[in-house]
Amino acid sequence: MPITDIPILNMLRERMQWQQARQEVLAENVANADTPDYQAKDLAPLDFSRQLSAASLSLERTSPEHIASTAADSQFASKGAGYEIRPRGNSVSHEDEMMNVATNQMDYEAATEMYTHSLNLIKLAVKE
Amino acid sequence: MMDFMKSLHIAASGLRAQMGRMKVITENIANVDSVATTPGGDPYRRRIVTFSSELDRSVGADVVRLGRVEPDKSDFLVRHEPGNPAADAQGNVKYPNVNTLVEMTDLRDAQRSYESNLNVITATRKMMQLTIDMLKA
Repeated sequence: MPITDIPILNMLRERMQWQQARQEVLAENVANADTPDYQAKDLAPLDFSRQLSAASLSLERTSPEHIASTAADSQFASKGAGYEIRPRGNSVSHEDEMMNVATNQMDYEAATEMYTHSLNLIKLAVKE
Repeated sequence: MMDFMKSLHIAASGLRAQMGRMKVITENIANVDSVATTPGGDPYRRRIVTFSSELDRSVGADVVRLGRVEPDKSDFLVRHEPGNPAADAQGNVKYPNVNTLVEMTDLRDAQRSYESNLNVITATRKMMQLTIDMLKA
């Protein structure tokens, strides 16, 4: 069994990829804090249970002419109308974005720590 | 790691845009008293920056760009100064439509945006470092 197939490592990797993508979206928000009519975006939260069910219950296509089943939900979470929309039509709030960036960084740190610890556990098992 | 590089590129585009904005603002402040050199001529006209979000194909992400620098079309300030070399036949001198208070507020806003972008870069770099640290364990 390759090391990449271990479920916890798989999940952590998924989580870290999601956080990288979120960091990109947050950077975009901050960079466009003064662009007229720009709406702040955020990623939809990572939901493992949904991914598991989607993986096991997706419709198989037996012919390429069949219509593929597509998940209806988008990868972006709607932020709704924030309480702070400036006259320029821009809804980016520096405070919110800074908080999101800090949260994202801390969560990423937790994920990398857990990844390292999981690897150490495997190492321990190998040594015995 | 590619996503982190993208984040850095986007934040850097924000820094560049805010820098350009500050340049135009300081230009406005510096020219607050620049009247015409000829009698009755038009003085310095205040300039405004515009931002636009556009797709950078080399990065593959929406970066922010400084758009055209537009002139402020509001009226000039007119003062009666017959002795001024720039005065017209009635003795009126047109002064630039620059309000230093507005410019200072804009400058503060630009500074705040600049700091936010810098913050994103710091956080992203920390996250990259964390990824690299995983190799050490």
